[in-house]
Amino acid sequence: MIDPSHGGEDKGAMFGRGKIAEKDIALALARVLKRQLEERGVTARLLRDSDIDLSLDRRATITNEEHPAVYVALHAGPPGWGVRVYTPALQPARATGKFLPWEDAQAASLQRSRVVARTVAHELSKIGLPVASLTSTLRPLNNLTSPAVAVEWVPGSAEVRPSQLLRIGNTLASAIASGIVQARNQGVDRP
Amino acid sequence: MIPRHFQITIALLLLAILVGGVMIIHLRHKEQEANLLRSPAAPGAPVAGAEEKIRMLLAYDDDQALRWRETTVFMPVDRALRARAALRAVLAQYLQAPSPHPLGKGADIKDVYLIDNDTMVVDTNREFADGHPSGILLEQLTMTSLIETLTANVPGVARVKFLVEGEERETLAGHADLMSFYRTAATHELAREFE
Repeated sequence: MIDPSHGGEDKGAMFGRGKIAEKDIALALARVLKRQLEERGVTARLLRDSDIDLSLDRRATITNEEHPAVYVALHAGPPGWGVRVYTPALQPARATGKFLPWEDAQAASLQRSRVVARTVAHELSKIGLPVASLTSTLRPLNNLTSPAVAVEWVPGSAEVRPSQLLRIGNTLASAIASGIVQARNQGVDRP
Repeated sequence: MIPRHFQITIALLLLAILVGGVMIIHLRHKEQEANLLRSPAAPGAPVAGAEEKIRMLLAYDDDQALRWRETTVFMPVDRALRARAALRAVLAQYLQAPSPHPLGKGADIKDVYLIDNDTMVVDTNREFADGHPSGILLEQLTMTSLIETLTANVPGVARVKFLVEGEERETLAGHADLMSFYRTAATHELAREFE
């Protein structure tokens, strides 16, 4: 499941002197990632494929109903330059039962999320951009029952141009797709 | 028999008295309201406390890092007021120019409430959330900086929840979770990634 963050009224961070919104970068990157995954034989679905408002709870609900092998949220934001890969800031599950608390729904999949983050970060490090692996309280990662990571492209202080977006989008998406395939090969789709 | 012109005069006089009466009552109400607004607020009870050196975990956007700094502020004895004073000291650092981690103009902590002796609810103002720059890391640095500073100066707090103008919000500026209670132990671990 690919989640192009934000959308509709929620623009996210702004780039290019306020002309390019994070929601548009995320959607453009998500479409390329979907294609790249499908080329590698992985079925992929976008949580939104147009400029619509979609609440974070709704994103989590749709994803949990689909039971995807991996959820990846795509973001773009300051500060710095490079790529950041986030896993949920949670403790691994204490106990698993039939019902999971909404706030900690991710706990049971946390170890597998870390595997996905590691393989994606490893592939991203090959494309020559600085890669940081961090934990985050980013929503809705903690509400997801499947392995979940967020990837944030950090364009730096230089002005963001559409041509740059196209080029970096292809490179980033290719690396993320390779990382997801590797994670699947390591069995993250099996609880 | 009363002459007709006399009847009209009396009716007009009665009407004028009625209108005048209503006008006087209206003006008196307006004056009372104005006096109420002009009157100085009742002085609050003096807050027990003293000038104290406190530790703040400050965010530095340029380095994407959090660093401990010290400052001296008036710290009340009451734990909730103490938390508010410490958090306001952090915001004061961010609102100065040049700022290590710029926030929206007018960002403030309205109140801090202590629940069950180990949970704090921090009520921020609208400017704090509406004016906060959007970005996963920027928002995370703010939340971590505030929670770590709070727990460093008010021991015994296990959970912290943030409100905006007394109401819940999904996120700070599109990313950092404002719906959940932050566990201070988990936030402490998170802070170490940036120190």
